[in-house]
Amino acid sequence: MTKDNFTETGDLLSVEDLRVHFHGDDAVARAVDGVDFRVGHNETVCLVGESGCGKTVSALAVLGLVPCPPAEIASGRILFAAQDLLHLEEEALRRIRGNRIAMVFQEPLTSLNPVFTVGDQIGEAIRIHRALPDDELRLRCASLLEDVGIADAEERLGDYPHQLSGGQRQRVMIAMALACDPELIIADEPTTALDVTVQAQILGLFRSIQQSRSMSVLYITHDLGVVASVADRVYVMYAGIIVEQADTAQLFRAPQHPYTRGLLASLPTRSRRGERLHSIPGSVPSPARKPPGCPFHPRCSYAVESCRRTFPAMCDYGGQHMSRCPVLFEAEKPRRQQ
Amino acid sequence: MNEENSDIRPILEITGLKKYFPIRRGFFQRVSGWVRAVDGVDLSLASGKTLGLVGESGCGKSTVARVVLRLLDLQEGSIRFRRQEISRMTERELKPLRRQMQIVFQDPYGSLNPRMTVGQSIGEGVRIAGIAGSRQRRQRIAELLEMVGLSPDAADRFPHEFSGGQRQRVGIARALSVNPSLVICDEPISALDVSIQAQIINLLKDLQDRLGLSYLFISHDLNVVGYLCDRVAVMYAGRIMEEAPALELFEAPRHPYTRKLLSAIPEPDPDRRKTAAEVAETEAAEGSEAAEATGCSYRPACSAKDDSCRDLPDELREIQPGHWVRCTKA
Repeated sequence: MTKDNFTETGDLLSVEDLRVHFHGDDAVARAVDGVDFRVGHNETVCLVGESGCGKTVSALAVLGLVPCPPAEIASGRILFAAQDLLHLEEEALRRIRGNRIAMVFQEPLTSLNPVFTVGDQIGEAIRIHRALPDDELRLRCASLLEDVGIADAEERLGDYPHQLSGGQRQRVMIAMALACDPELIIADEPTTALDVTVQAQILGLFRSIQQSRSMSVLYITHDLGVVASVADRVYVMYAGIIVEQADTAQLFRAPQHPYTRGLLASLPTRSRRGERLHSIPGSVPSPARKPPGCPFHPRCSYAVESCRRTFPAMCDYGGQHMSRCPVLFEAEKPRRQQ
Repeated sequence: MNEENSDIRPILEITGLKKYFPIRRGFFQRVSGWVRAVDGVDLSLASGKTLGLVGESGCGKSTVARVVLRLLDLQEGSIRFRRQEISRMTERELKPLRRQMQIVFQDPYGSLNPRMTVGQSIGEGVRIAGIAGSRQRRQRIAELLEMVGLSPDAADRFPHEFSGGQRQRVGIARALSVNPSLVICDEPISALDVSIQAQIINLLKDLQDRLGLSYLFISHDLNVVGYLCDRVAVMYAGRIMEEAPALELFEAPRHPYTRKLLSAIPEPDPDRRKTAAEVAETEAAEGSEAAEATGCSYRPACSAKDDSCRDLPDELREIQPGHWVRCTKA
């Protein structure tokens, strides 16, 4: 649906060969190790992966929020509206952050300031980026709260975060992100701390605001169920690299990377009752001790000798579906050509 | 409560279980009210089976676990474990039974002592289980580690040297060290990475087949419960709203709350993406949760309520053999 948009108008955000290294006492952790992704206009893109795969660091790098040191942006370009954010002065970056690109964090309780009212916190970004008289500011805050589905918005502006439920706090966080009508919202696991019924509401809210405001959303999650319910396109990350990218339907229908296949096959569902679950052996490597060659090879059932030595290339399956596994790409070529 | 097939004896039977926590206020810490965390729960777990207990945070499911293990005292009700009433037992009477009931916790980081080696953590249980000689004890520790898929030399290492999934395996080995028959699993996989969860689920299933364990499996993850459990009980605000065989509960849920929970599962299938109307339905069901004295406790949040819900008592009724629902409309 958004694919056409994307080719007609170019990308809103384009990240190229991003590398973020963390320097420890005795080792360098290559948390993000050459990542390319893009977000088109009016598109919801998911970065999905397990803890430590680099998805959060990639997203924070977009906003210049990775602390350097200990981190170092070793290479890459982050193009947003034709500017490279990595080479922008702090002052110029500040005009984008919270204004044209906004962020929603995972833990609404720790991300909200307990001593300021909800109204103060939603208004903060507007005060910084737009000059609005007080009464208009108040109206704007109230209408934002209404947009995110909080009843009696006018009265709730005076509430403190502890007076709200977890779901309401996350709605407030989203209202804060929406305050300056950003072109892009980056949401880092925004529903992970919430109950399933509240999660369903927040996911619904993301879909409806994305449609009504024609924004782009970069959504970070580890939950494939969430991916299936919000994303237009998906990037699967493993150990600091992108191993597969595709539009959502394609990824779930025909996953091409052994890691993606393994993850999807290991999900417990009631239709698999009685069967033994497929499980990926081993565990996620630490960013400081990544195996050479393909970082997934020690856990991969398709691995061959060359996987130990050669870093795998991206293989193009057509229709923007790419997978970083030349072994499967070659092995299944005859089947695809039929 | 529910009659299992008469040839399978329940290992655990809970009836009318209540646990209230006091709310204290003021300088003298006077009790000004009660949080009814568990408010009349009936459950029964057949030997060798898995009973899922699901519900959202704060519904009282972990409190049930702690009361069943007598880690917390109860207000009212009965807990029968292997046909013995344990709710009023003294610590001394309980001690031999404690060995038979174990728990696996959610957080594999917080639940292992960082200053004890894995062997020491597991060894405590092995000693309690009555294995005296140090060589026999080492052998038993090695056996337990292998049983959960770890190598025996893990015994000399400390918890911080292991990944989350491996630590959860250690937690399971520790629970098994005293040869229990009932294991309560309190969200045992929710802190683990997706690719590790399947490993632990498979392990729990293998151990059940091998050792004939009975599981009370507490979770908020309905996908896991639907895969693993024989029966499922849905808990809301301290009470069981519905209990049924797992497949029946998922395919023909009868309580509005169960339906709401099931519709909220994000399914890993983009073709089954919820429509805006379905989400709106969930929204409408969100209401104030002020408890009222009479009628159905789910009424304030219910999308199917009418006036009769205020007057009729909300009792668990068996609407089909083995399928219990706390809703007068079901």
